[in-house]
Amino acid sequence: MKIAVCLRRTPDTTAKIVIAAGGTSIDETGVKFVPNPYDEYAIEAAIALKEKAGAGETVVVALGADSVQETLRTALAMGIDRAVHLQGNASADGLENARALADHVRGGGYDLVLFGKLAVDDYGQQTGAMVAELLELPCATAITMLEIADGRATVEREVEGGVEQATCALPAVFTCDKGLNNPRLPSLKGIMAARKKPFDIAPVTVAAGAVTVASLVLPPERAAGRIVGEGAAAVPALMQLLVSDAKVI
Amino acid sequence: MGVVLPVRHQAPLPTTLIRAETPRAEAIELDVLIVGGGPAGLACAIQLARSAPDLGVGVLEKAGSLGEHSLSGAVINPIALRALFPDKPDSEFPFRQRVEGEAVYFMTAAGSLRIPTPPTMKNHGNYTVSLCELVRWLGEQAEALGVNIFPGFPAESLLVDGQRVIGVRTVAGGLDRDRNPTDVFQEPTDLTAKVVVLAEGTRGPLAQAWRDWQQVGSDNPQIFALGVKEVWEIPQPLDRVIHTLGWPLPRDAFGGSWCYPMGPNQVSIGLVVGLDYHDAGLDVHESLQRMKLHPLFRGLLQGGTLLEWGAKTIPEGGYYAIPHRLSGDGVMMIGDTAGLVDVPSLKGIHYAMESGMLAATAIVAALQQHGGGGGAHLAAYDQAVRQSRIVGDMHVTRNMRLAFKDGFVGGVVKAGLMTISRGAFPGGRIAMAADAEAPRETHADTPFVPDNVLTFSKVDAVFKSGNATRDTIPSHLVVGRDITGDVADFYAHLCPAGVYERQGDTLRVNPPNCVDCKATDVLGPRWTPREGGSGPRYRLM
Repeated sequence: MKIAVCLRRTPDTTAKIVIAAGGTSIDETGVKFVPNPYDEYAIEAAIALKEKAGAGETVVVALGADSVQETLRTALAMGIDRAVHLQGNASADGLENARALADHVRGGGYDLVLFGKLAVDDYGQQTGAMVAELLELPCATAITMLEIADGRATVEREVEGGVEQATCALPAVFTCDKGLNNPRLPSLKGIMAARKKPFDIAPVTVAAGAVTVASLVLPPERAAGRIVGEGAAAVPALMQLLVSDAKVI
Repeated sequence: MGVVLPVRHQAPLPTTLIRAETPRAEAIELDVLIVGGGPAGLACAIQLARSAPDLGVGVLEKAGSLGEHSLSGAVINPIALRALFPDKPDSEFPFRQRVEGEAVYFMTAAGSLRIPTPPTMKNHGNYTVSLCELVRWLGEQAEALGVNIFPGFPAESLLVDGQRVIGVRTVAGGLDRDRNPTDVFQEPTDLTAKVVVLAEGTRGPLAQAWRDWQQVGSDNPQIFALGVKEVWEIPQPLDRVIHTLGWPLPRDAFGGSWCYPMGPNQVSIGLVVGLDYHDAGLDVHESLQRMKLHPLFRGLLQGGTLLEWGAKTIPEGGYYAIPHRLSGDGVMMIGDTAGLVDVPSLKGIHYAMESGMLAATAIVAALQQHGGGGGAHLAAYDQAVRQSRIVGDMHVTRNMRLAFKDGFVGGVVKAGLMTISRGAFPGGRIAMAADAEAPRETHADTPFVPDNVLTFSKVDAVFKSGNATRDTIPSHLVVGRDITGDVADFYAHLCPAGVYERQGDTLRVNPPNCVDCKATDVLGPRWTPREGGSGPRYRLM
């Protein structure tokens, strides 16, 4: 069982975001970065599958500037065996990033290639499916259950009003959703072991692609809430406001 | 009017901080284990990794990432950084800016009077920094040198064998309110080391427990101050470093405020009060809120935005509160944990770093000479600290903070004479009692109402500390006995983070709010180590 996990680094979801000069990217000064939370489900799935199989290799791959190495080390500390840093600047065009990742994964002998279902910063939701297409592999997105038996994968996806089950032959590409598992935290032993695990750096050139970011703006600030009053006495005034001001009743 | 005597209501230190237990089978073995990834611990780790690259060095840090529990003013004296990184120019250090001007004011409710800068407070050649940023940067340097850094792993207890410290046990993670494991439960891990360096920062629980156990006293008990700090984005840059005395503090409290430029559009502003204050209703957070409305600061902050808020205690006892021993069998204390802070110059960061470097030198020599038994030969560190600039500086100012114990006016006069005589006046040692021994007078107080523009409630403040501790965490605070309504009120005012509330005549405790400032550990409920990554997540403090 050989599994690749493709990883993105994203700002901590509680970080205060400031738009950088130029208006097309965020100012990274002082911002804490973490592994993309959805990618953590993919990492956990890879580690757990290898543990269950008792053999195999898990590899984490990330594309980007050198700052991504810290994120890769977190994955190693969680239990991934080996890291690959595709050193280069990612494009705003998801297809170009998918090409760089697919070029690396292709020929690697992977049974599974796992992604998070989306990155919480840009909500692109493209890369996993595009890599599958470029590798001509079957793909299921946003999976919440994954089982491997006899060279086939069974996955579940939460669809409107129910659960969809699908199966396909390996190798395959899946993107992972919340609910798939509970990602483990790095252990002390894991952090120490991570320092000694193989860590490859491979320079890549990513084409600019067809898409550019024209502008990036923060959502408008929400007005402060109002406290109408406390207890039963405030209910009539609240009802009045819900009808006349908020117009929700 | 009543009186609260804090010590009467305080719980003893938990006995679980020292464990005479065999380390678990899965224990991690290191040569040197440093408890606390602040400036002291990281400087120690860097020096160790440089002078003895073969040593296995680990740093435990309770914050989720390095720097997230670090807070200081701060104006830093760069000498320790220059000594630790002799090959780096100042421009590579993570300073915010050079101190270009400074002013000290005596404040009254309506106005302020500029007074001459006391010689101890001159900051020519120093730099403003965010301690979080400095700590993150030191962490990167340490990691590049091969140091194992373990953020999110607080030390829960010291593991001991006879009189020797042999390691540390970490806190379990993922427990519910009743301490039952949840699906993200993380077992405690034991780490063993030839030397355990306690770099816990202010009011470290392991250091307190070790000193109690080994009966390591000091001439005076350690005393503390509580500082509350905010970082603001402002429309116009501040051109100088400001310190103030006087209002909003009562005359019988020791303390003052600061306001430092942090680059073109940020300032750090804060208020520090000695925890031997007499008024049970004194509230450092609220006092800082009121202070921001004073003409001296209002104009500066108006139109600005509160970016971050935090709080932390400071060991203020000075020379006479330094423990009689800073090392023992297998263990040593560095930085704030050892009380190496000089209050008259408002400096501790470079002393913390220097003590860490001295500890590293002593460790390397002991391990080279005595191998695995080197932990029994660490006394050279005590000598090195006693002969260093750290204790030299603290000796000159040895009675200065203590002179203020009976009030502000007399304190100023005595401190002046001490400055002139380089510490010789008045001769001898001014004796101090522990902060918890000072009685507090209670009286009816008027509640503070924040305007949510320049002033904020404690609940909003805690949000601005980045604290997102889960609500289901077990309580890490140990409340003592006979908690009356008056005592509950006293705790509610003391705690800057709204952890304590008076409800009727009882005390309500909200542990997730805690930002680890340790103020109530000094005067009330005990603070014990809790799940890694809990508490504040400072980025700019």
